[in-house]
Amino acid sequence: MFKLKNFINKMLFGNLNYLTAFILLISASFTTAQAIDMKQQSGETITVMLVSHPFVDSVKPYIPEFEALTGITVNLDVLPEGSGTEKLLADLSSRAGTIDVFMTSPLSNWQYATAGWIEDLDPFLENPSLTDAAAYDVGDFFQGVLDSNRWTRELLAGIGEGPLWALPINSESYLLAYRPSVFKELGIDVPKTYAELLSIADKLDQGSAQYGLLTRFDKFWDLPYLTFGTMLQSYGVEMLDAEGNLQICSEESINATNDFVQLIQTASPEGAGAFTWYESMQGFAAGQYALSFNEADLFAPVYQDPTQSEVSNDVGYAPTPLGPDGYRKAGAWIWSMSINAASSKKDAAWLFLSWVTSKEIMIGSHLGGNMNPVRKSAWANKDVAALVNGWGEYPGQYVEVTSTMGEVAAVRFPPHPELTRMLDRWAQAVQEVYFGKANAKEALCNAEADIKPMLSQ
Amino acid sequence: MILENRLSVSSRTSYYLMFAPALIMLLAVLYPFFQGVYTAFTNQKLYLESSTFIGIGNFLELFKNDEFRDSIYRTLLYTLAVISVQLPLGVTVAWLLNQNNKIQSLLRNTLVLPLLIPPVVAGLMWKTMMQPQSGILNWLLNNIGLPSFSWLSDTNTALISVVLIDTWVFTPFAALIFLAGLQSIPNDMIEAAQIDGASSSLIFRAIQLPWLFPYIILVTLFRVSDSMKSFELFYVTTRGGPLNATRTLHITAYEEAFRWANVGRAMAIVFFLWIISYFLSIFIMSKWKRKSEN
Repeated sequence: MFKLKNFINKMLFGNLNYLTAFILLISASFTTAQAIDMKQQSGETITVMLVSHPFVDSVKPYIPEFEALTGITVNLDVLPEGSGTEKLLADLSSRAGTIDVFMTSPLSNWQYATAGWIEDLDPFLENPSLTDAAAYDVGDFFQGVLDSNRWTRELLAGIGEGPLWALPINSESYLLAYRPSVFKELGIDVPKTYAELLSIADKLDQGSAQYGLLTRFDKFWDLPYLTFGTMLQSYGVEMLDAEGNLQICSEESINATNDFVQLIQTASPEGAGAFTWYESMQGFAAGQYALSFNEADLFAPVYQDPTQSEVSNDVGYAPTPLGPDGYRKAGAWIWSMSINAASSKKDAAWLFLSWVTSKEIMIGSHLGGNMNPVRKSAWANKDVAALVNGWGEYPGQYVEVTSTMGEVAAVRFPPHPELTRMLDRWAQAVQEVYFGKANAKEALCNAEADIKPMLSQ
Repeated sequence: MILENRLSVSSRTSYYLMFAPALIMLLAVLYPFFQGVYTAFTNQKLYLESSTFIGIGNFLELFKNDEFRDSIYRTLLYTLAVISVQLPLGVTVAWLLNQNNKIQSLLRNTLVLPLLIPPVVAGLMWKTMMQPQSGILNWLLNNIGLPSFSWLSDTNTALISVVLIDTWVFTPFAALIFLAGLQSIPNDMIEAAQIDGASSSLIFRAIQLPWLFPYIILVTLFRVSDSMKSFELFYVTTRGGPLNATRTLHITAYEEAFRWANVGRAMAIVFFLWIISYFLSIFIMSKWKRKSEN
């Protein structure tokens, strides 16, 4: 029979082994006490809104595991990006609190944070009853990626500082995806500069037998922010210069716009002016195009999956072309997740958010097609490494290219709650040139004149 | 007398109680309406806590904007195109269905099918068929020696393509109303005309068409009202594109509210749209009343 008095006497005055064991026992108890109680919100139900994206399918299989672990029921609401954003705006602005956790981005969060619709996540990260700091290891996130979700709410400044408005779930930059067999048949090399690409555009397009290139081109902010934005930045164009003046109508911007429109008109089919990112991804995966131009690197899991792609054995990757002055820059997009400030179940929402962005679940999601990893441990994971190393025309090509692009990718836009409106207007100007409604100088200068007053609103 | 007064009070109470549900419904409709109208005169944005009354500021800004003026023109053009196509087509289909032949009931049943499909589904279906490279419509055109058509993907053809989709969905509605009108014509009038040797086209021009005037005006009223505020077809097929080729007033209002969070301006557009629709409806109703009395 265990007698506490005897145990203590022996521990204090007797056998040294007992003392050692006691110290270890106390230490172990202290360490165990650090781990959080995952069942603390058992019985709650949360609604998680996700945008239709490879991330959704990659994380769905793990949801039952979360529900069993925590006793929290998860209602998943998956919508296309456009309508999902609109539904989210309605929910957040009405403070209904119907959606507890949702997929978002730094760009959208500039509006949401201004309005006070999203929670600062730092208090949750620092709360020992909600976050096991050692296990979660926030330092495992790439610092720049994590900090892209910080903002002081200062107009046109303050990115990377202040409250943490979201946690990243993947990161995206842009690259060329090409069909090695087509390029070989045509006897052309993958272009290294925009000038080279323009010179081969004609040859690349074989009409309905094999279209030349595709990229997203709908009248939407992602055009100047991400894909065409990558080309603009390589031409030396950023939205605001160092003095805070708009550069939409600069000579470099006009040149980039003319070259971009020429590319699309030469090497893309009719209807290209309405392609969203979804059509762009599906079109290339269907084997209809020789080149996917400045499109998201995280489409690679789709291209490489034989159940989703006709080109899984015939796809290579290359960095985006160099601009006229030999520079390469690229846009960056970081899908993230935030907590609704009007949610009545914030702790349960945090348990989900911290779980889905944990090391283990993130690795699982990457193996299921969610790219690119935002944690260092994920890139170092041997299964993830083995998966991505197999992508491309030769082993390791995808990793090489994404590393190259990672060095030049950044968010080079001013934080502003109405930035999407400004970028929509910019995209419209580019479309006006494509549809022959105006020349580039006219269209871009008119857009700049319309956008200027929005900056100070 | 006391008993009569008690009954009178009881009757009055019942009278007012019966009004109560209707009154509640009326308030439930009017309150958001007036709230929306008030918002149209403010600078309300979804992400800002407060707003200021700015009078007609939103309307002045809108009317200075070329794209807004274009969207007014586009909305009216779309409405006119819909009426111009669907009224004659509806009358024609109704006249054909009114003939006594063996395939009439089969045609009548088939005619109803588009009405059973939600406009959103119809829009997505037609969008797929109208895809320039892989859609079945261009495949059919090419197979009979005609060139491909741009359908929804070109600024010059997108609006007429949406008119076509709208026609497919809503012409059956018009045709069924006209068919009811044709079938309400007293048989003896038609028989008398036939005995007098009138041809089918004369009977149509002299008897059936004039008889149909009130029905035509009624259908015009419905279709004008629906077309002015048409949203689902535009949203699922083009979302106002390509460029702004199909950007009608309602799509513009939607973008202002749900893409750019500017609810003040969005409500100003919707209020303006309501005013146009209201006065158009009054004008059409006045014509309908006159024709009905005749």
